[in-house]
Amino acid sequence: MKVPLKWLKEFVSVDAPVEEIARRLTVAGLEVENIERVSASFSGVVVARVLEAAKHPNADRLSLCQVDAGPAGRFSVVCGAPNVRSGMTAALARVGAKLGAEPELQAAVIRGVRSEGMLCSERELGLSQDHHGILSLPDDAPLGAPLADYLGLDDVVLDIAILPNRGDALSILGVARDVAALFGVRLRTPRIRPLAVERHQGDGASSSFAVRIAAPEQCPRYAALKMTGVRVAPSPIWMRRRLELCGMRGLNNVVDATNYVMLETGQPLHAFDLDKIAASTIVVRHAGSDREFVTLDNVRRALESTDLVIADPEKPLAIAGVMGGLNSEVGLSTRTILLESAYFEPMTVAKTARRLGLRSEASYRFERGIDRAGQTTALMRVAELLKRHAEARPEGAVADFEPRPAPVREIALDLKRMGALLGVELSAADTKRRLVSLGASVKRAETRGVLSVTPPSWRSDLNEAADLAEEVARLSGLEEIPASLPPRLFAYAEPNREREFFKGTREVMLGAGFTEIDTIAFIAPADNEKFTGIGNGEPLRVQNPLSEELREMRRSLVPGLLAALSFNLNRQATAFHAFEIAKVFARVNSAVSERYHLGALSYGEYALAEIGKPGVKAGFFTMKGVAETYLGALGLAERVRFKAPTGEHQLNFLHPGRSALILLADEPAGYVGELHPREAMERGLEQQCTICEIDLDRLISYGLSPHAAIEAPPRFPAVRRDLALVLEREFPADLIVKTIREMAPSLLESVEVFDVYQGDAVAPGKKSVALALRYRAADRTLTDEEVNRTHAVLMEQARARLGAELRK
Amino acid sequence: MKEQLDEIRRRALDELADDASDEQIEAVRVRVLGRSGELTQVMRGMRDVPAAERPAIGQLVNQIKRELEERIEKLKQRLAEAALERSLAEARLDVTLPGARIPRGRIHPVTHIMERMLDIFVSMGFEVAMTRDVEDDFHNFEALNFPPDHPAREMQDTFLVGGGLLLRSHTSNGQIRVMEQRKPPLAVVCPGRCYRRDELSVRASPMFTQIEGFMVDRVGRITMAHLKGVLIEFLRAFFGPETGVRFRSSYFPFTEPSAEVDIHCLLCKGAGCRVCKHSGWTEILGCGMIHPNVLRAVKLDPEEYQGFAFGFGVERPALLRLGVDDMRLFFENDLRFLNQFPSLSGAAA
Repeated sequence: MKVPLKWLKEFVSVDAPVEEIARRLTVAGLEVENIERVSASFSGVVVARVLEAAKHPNADRLSLCQVDAGPAGRFSVVCGAPNVRSGMTAALARVGAKLGAEPELQAAVIRGVRSEGMLCSERELGLSQDHHGILSLPDDAPLGAPLADYLGLDDVVLDIAILPNRGDALSILGVARDVAALFGVRLRTPRIRPLAVERHQGDGASSSFAVRIAAPEQCPRYAALKMTGVRVAPSPIWMRRRLELCGMRGLNNVVDATNYVMLETGQPLHAFDLDKIAASTIVVRHAGSDREFVTLDNVRRALESTDLVIADPEKPLAIAGVMGGLNSEVGLSTRTILLESAYFEPMTVAKTARRLGLRSEASYRFERGIDRAGQTTALMRVAELLKRHAEARPEGAVADFEPRPAPVREIALDLKRMGALLGVELSAADTKRRLVSLGASVKRAETRGVLSVTPPSWRSDLNEAADLAEEVARLSGLEEIPASLPPRLFAYAEPNREREFFKGTREVMLGAGFTEIDTIAFIAPADNEKFTGIGNGEPLRVQNPLSEELREMRRSLVPGLLAALSFNLNRQATAFHAFEIAKVFARVNSAVSERYHLGALSYGEYALAEIGKPGVKAGFFTMKGVAETYLGALGLAERVRFKAPTGEHQLNFLHPGRSALILLADEPAGYVGELHPREAMERGLEQQCTICEIDLDRLISYGLSPHAAIEAPPRFPAVRRDLALVLEREFPADLIVKTIREMAPSLLESVEVFDVYQGDAVAPGKKSVALALRYRAADRTLTDEEVNRTHAVLMEQARARLGAELRK
Repeated sequence: MKEQLDEIRRRALDELADDASDEQIEAVRVRVLGRSGELTQVMRGMRDVPAAERPAIGQLVNQIKRELEERIEKLKQRLAEAALERSLAEARLDVTLPGARIPRGRIHPVTHIMERMLDIFVSMGFEVAMTRDVEDDFHNFEALNFPPDHPAREMQDTFLVGGGLLLRSHTSNGQIRVMEQRKPPLAVVCPGRCYRRDELSVRASPMFTQIEGFMVDRVGRITMAHLKGVLIEFLRAFFGPETGVRFRSSYFPFTEPSAEVDIHCLLCKGAGCRVCKHSGWTEILGCGMIHPNVLRAVKLDPEEYQGFAFGFGVERPALLRLGVDDMRLFFENDLRFLNQFPSLSGAAA
């Protein structure tokens, strides 16, 4: 809402500097976003009267005018405007005047006659694009006065962000009310000469038109006035100037007057050409079977049956509260008008305006709630302006139809309760004074310490005691509320499980050399198709995405990691090790699942060796090592298994031979693997790209394994014996370890693979796996003989069970 | 016999000069002390010595033996010492070369800043609760006192995913989710991701992070004064003890009274500059006393309970705090940006 300060000051006298006004409004909830100083784009122009306009002696199209600029003197001026005539009041640019970016005005000889200045058009003055003729000023304009002063062109415009609940502040008067209350000064409401009002409970007819309200739920009040003898013309320059400062454009004196009053009072108004209304009858009804309608801006709009329209018995004339129609537009030929000033329900207007994508100044105000009782006053104010500027005369009384009177609002304000809410006690007198300054009427209620408050009709947002408390607090800018800390009366609460879990996860990943990234959850359907993640379910589609590329919610964190990899490789990075902890989404049956995942990607040199020695490249085993470290840190090492993917768990985006499912208690909880070479090639990746994804919600809900009972370190030494088995190349190493463990000779403490050999020394298709076995007894040092005996039995058993050969 | 022994000793000591080499020393040791060395030979000749002299000769042999052994030991140590000195001089490293390592990763700045914020609230007695991203209309809007078609609702700003579900447009759903489950007293912060239909740009992102916080107890125990106190405490903990804080009346459907909180512009410290549009202030969060309708929606009687709520985005204060001005930096994941952040979670943000 743009508020020119001069206009504001017509309603409220404040001497405070504009910055102080802006500051107080801002802390009271009317945030002044900008203070703009505007000024005339000219200087040296004064008000002057054309005493005589004679034909130029040497040119048919020019006039030679004698001009009286009062105290400034009399001048002889050549003028080419077709509308110059003796007796008119005009704008005289004197010698030395500056008009916009033009050089200083010089005296000139035009067709042999000297001209001591220039009579200006609006365009020359930078007031509008109008260049049909010179600007015509009202006859009461003081001669010789600087034009900029007379038109009030030097001004300050406050740009105020109006909050959605403050429809009442969408007017100069509304802002003035808050200024008056904030500064403790009186509000001067415009003095309007009253017109007779005819009140109707329901439908009815005045002497010259009829109104029927078929939708009183959406239109509880509808006031109208007929005016005749209208002469449609441009409106006065000062009015157009104000409309412009408020961001509107001047059209003609009728439309401008309705807009002017809307800006002033907040009440949207509409003027119909009454001669275009069939049977002089207005019907306020739902669109029903009317399917479309051409609005004033000459756009054909589709209607829905529930839209509220203003119609005559034959056709719709306007979309209520949104925009008028071309079929009843006021034009140059209009002589008789019907002025409408109504209250439409905010939601009705909001719904229609939103659907049509048509936000007008009127709909904006109706949506936010206008003064529930301001209809007839606004109508009288327009009538007054039209009388003065469009020669219009009211015919008959203002007809005021109110099928549904405003409900009475009376709010009990318990002062103690208010104090308990705000944390500061305010006296009854102080509270009352503040509420009254906002226009409320306040009485003491029967209960002690309770005020009975009737909010003003323009504050539809005040409905509960809390609303009133806010008003009371707002007027002091919330400054009188002290800041204090609440007593700590909350019992100990467990730290948040997920947060602690993520912190731990992050710590492990940082230590493993991975940098945390943050990617956006929206991805392209093609990426979801390819990177299916761990769980099942269909991709979650966004119905109103920003673009096709952001159409779905990710099922996996991998697309984001790969995009970040490419972004960095394109910027000369040679290695990239990153992880993300974030949600992935899917639709499973009819429910939506959202689960936290850990995603990690490793590319390029991983461990940096000392200079001159080869480093370690990221690959399947470095990533698997990270996963093992992580799961081990969680205490899950014993319950997790890595398994080559087969059958239903095949992951097509991974290298089939260099990937593994991570099974937690035999159910998939993630995977680790190299990106499929085909995919890597498409992305132009020159080195192995390894990824890992783990379902963190699965881990959290599985529960971290509680630490086993703690034991003192063993007191007797362990004895190591090695074992080398030759088996089929495909035989998984973990199965060898598992098999030996299951044989579980009592002295065996641990089994570990320490080497795998494939080559000339073993048969083709075979491999040799070397294992280190440790034997230990809890109560004695083992003798060699004892160990050898046990180991010999184990070797033989292992060979037999695994179908392996012993390698010597 | 004695003369013979003296001669063996003298010759051996001559050869075991200070500059004797390893080989020379070894040669002496073998010749004199060896299994069939000179001293052994002498001992073998003992039977020819009169019995009375034998103990004295034996003693002398042992004495010489000990003396030579000590001498050899000393020379060997000296040689070892010299060899060590030589090798130390040769094995000198360029200690300025980098070490072998796995470079530690970095924490994302948004995480880092959010964790710092949560730590402040936790230290003040707040719990942390995580709630859903995919939400229904009731929890995202209706229970928060946004009636249908309310202008503040602006559905164009919200992503819809069908079946009456949407992506939450703020973390305020956390208030509802938590209060449905638990009764006051409550002091909870809900961090999380939110979604709005804004293109990724310098100032906005379709996905961003918010922290919602609220405190509810019986009427009178949690007031607007406490709201001010808690938020000022938080803002000064986060932005520094000198930070200027201003409360400004505002509007949110789910609070009444509502306020917006500004802090002094971090760049000009309140003097007014281009960044704060010459106001001296930067808007940082929204807050207020929980609206009675919100309490009703979670079946709490507003005559019995009251509390405050606040909410703010994490990315914007993070930008302010870091002194950079482009939201996209957080989502591009450029290592040259990320590598400037700490790799220890405790390090000061």
